[in-house]
Amino acid sequence: MAAAVPLQESALLPEGLNVSFKLLPAAIVSAMMLSFLVIGFIYKVADTDDMWVAGRSIGNIENGMAIGANWMSAASYLGMAALIALSGVYGLAFVVGWTTGYFVLLIFLAAQMRRFGKYTAPDFVGDRFNSDSARAIAAITTFLIGFVYAIGQARGMGLVGLYIFGDPGIPGLSGYQSMMILFMVITIGYLALSGMLGATKNMVFQYLILIIAFLVGLYATGWAAGYSTILPQLEYAQLISALSAEFSEPFVNESYYLWIATAVSLAFGTCGLPHVLVRFYTVDNERTARWSTVWGLFFIALLYLSAPAYAAFGTDLYSQNIRPAFGDPGMTSAAADVIVVLATQLSGLPSWLVGFVAAGGIAAAVATTAGLFIAGSSAISHDIYANIINEDASQRKQMIVGRLSIVALGVLTMAAAFDPQAPIAALVSYAFSLAATVLFPMFFLGLWWERTNRQGALTGMITGLILWLIPMANEGAFGIVNGGAGLGIDVIATWMPAIGSAIVSMPLVFVVTIVVSLMTDNPPQETRQMVRQCHSPRPMAQDRTAEEVVARRTDDSPADD
Amino acid sequence: MYNRILVPTDGSEVAEAAVDHALSIARDNNAELHALYVADTNAISVSLGTEQVDRIRQGKFSEMTELREQAEAATGYVADVGAEAGLEVIEHHAGGVPHRIIANYADDNDIDLVVMGSHGRTGVRRALLGSVTERTLRSTRAPVLVVDYRENE
Repeated sequence: MAAAVPLQESALLPEGLNVSFKLLPAAIVSAMMLSFLVIGFIYKVADTDDMWVAGRSIGNIENGMAIGANWMSAASYLGMAALIALSGVYGLAFVVGWTTGYFVLLIFLAAQMRRFGKYTAPDFVGDRFNSDSARAIAAITTFLIGFVYAIGQARGMGLVGLYIFGDPGIPGLSGYQSMMILFMVITIGYLALSGMLGATKNMVFQYLILIIAFLVGLYATGWAAGYSTILPQLEYAQLISALSAEFSEPFVNESYYLWIATAVSLAFGTCGLPHVLVRFYTVDNERTARWSTVWGLFFIALLYLSAPAYAAFGTDLYSQNIRPAFGDPGMTSAAADVIVVLATQLSGLPSWLVGFVAAGGIAAAVATTAGLFIAGSSAISHDIYANIINEDASQRKQMIVGRLSIVALGVLTMAAAFDPQAPIAALVSYAFSLAATVLFPMFFLGLWWERTNRQGALTGMITGLILWLIPMANEGAFGIVNGGAGLGIDVIATWMPAIGSAIVSMPLVFVVTIVVSLMTDNPPQETRQMVRQCHSPRPMAQDRTAEEVVARRTDDSPADD
Repeated sequence: MYNRILVPTDGSEVAEAAVDHALSIARDNNAELHALYVADTNAISVSLGTEQVDRIRQGKFSEMTELREQAEAATGYVADVGAEAGLEVIEHHAGGVPHRIIANYADDNDIDLVVMGSHGRTGVRRALLGSVTERTLRSTRAPVLVVDYRENE
């Protein structure tokens, strides 16, 4: 079962993909990277001469697009269709899990987080549980999530880059490795400038690029190959019986249990991802928080509803033009990871269009990596450095620490993506297991059960980290244990697969946190009132945080509650 | 000679080292004292996240508790010391690139003198951390008095 997803060949070279330097697509990708910078400069963050004067606020739709761009990575753009192409119905677990997560977020977390009103996810954990250790564990987890998540993005950038720019022939490096490093370096350089770049405006632009590229690619492919006309999202159903049973029959490739485990892990992981949650701290009010989530989900669904169609077209084209996609040897994971681009090429579309679709994939990877790295750098510079190590740290020192963390994250990611052991979607899902296991229970219990205390949170998070590592070691992720072979214990591999380990570990963390909290003291009265304030039905003034409301109330009437 | 004196401050000891000098000159000239705090948006984007930069731009400064408290404490120190000396102190909070804001503020408010602290960093530390004071010197036309601060010396 270690092969939850069929595995790789060591030299990542997607077969059937015409790897060479392509002038027009290369120009399109370069122009797109450049336009990010141009947009950034046009909307650059102007000086705010007086911080007490209200500026223009960001609307629901704009916020929703920013959520979409931040969220949809190479895993959504390339990996989702890839997994559906490789594993058929199993891949749908990603579509279901990643959208369900937003409902949980909408109902239980978005508005409540807004009320708590802090800066970062570790801020919430540290302040809610009154503990610097809890803050530190949350910060390290945030950093780890950024790292694990980015490996998949690096793989996506490398594969698409290889397709467009060809193998530059750097001695000692394969074409994939050279391209992966090149695009990661560009992303890090882009981040160095990000302070000057208009954050939300740029994200809206990135979203538009990636959704237009994906949909145009899908419609054009469907049209040119004669699969579909106006609604490929539904019309691909006509292909289902033509495709082999591996594609269309449920639970042939993977078990029912693995399907559920993956979906659960992805859904709750979504709610625990720091770079998703930060957007809710900054919206105007709770109403905007909720509506932004709804719009975000809509903008995400536009792509998600189309991915299965793309995968079906791609699989069929691959079988017709290259070799049968299933059976032996079948489609490799490297080819699947670029199926979106490959399908466009195989249906005989002009190369500029293929380049445009590829550019969308890179836009998705760059936007998400930027968001992840910023979340990781703020965890280190704000939560660990400025809050724990050096409380008098000046703004500039924090900036240096933050930039160094970004570089460290980049180097770690490049090292891990040098010879990735799994497809994009699987790599990314390890990060979701981690978020669902360690952070989601803290957010959920922290906001909804006032009795959760420091001891409970600390034991819960440590248990979560250990539980996350067990299946990772068992399956030898990142080639650390037994040179990538892992421990190979069958029971763990079957019931706690790394790709969906949260189905077992998340409930365990909940139980541990609750039991330990009940066995130890109540948290302070102020903390409990703060929790109640976060989900009280009474509306709250716009410019207040739960903490301030509680502070004021305790001043006025200590007997309240 | 000096009617309006500007003290840019980030609340650090380095910045506060300059306050005494500013105060003395202000008293002698019966000048108005301006205390300016600048939230460095470049620093905020990597330490708190780009979303927080958006938040500042939206004028949501009042709900960013920690940053607001830091800003208020920084300019509040100057206001307190000034009040003791019987001087009028104007507090101002802004966000952006520090040296540019300081220069603009000096221009817009007819500042006659800027008084600010400096670390006196050298070598690698200077290359890495740079100096807001040095950049301010280059971007403003107002006279600048630099007060060097060295710890434990």
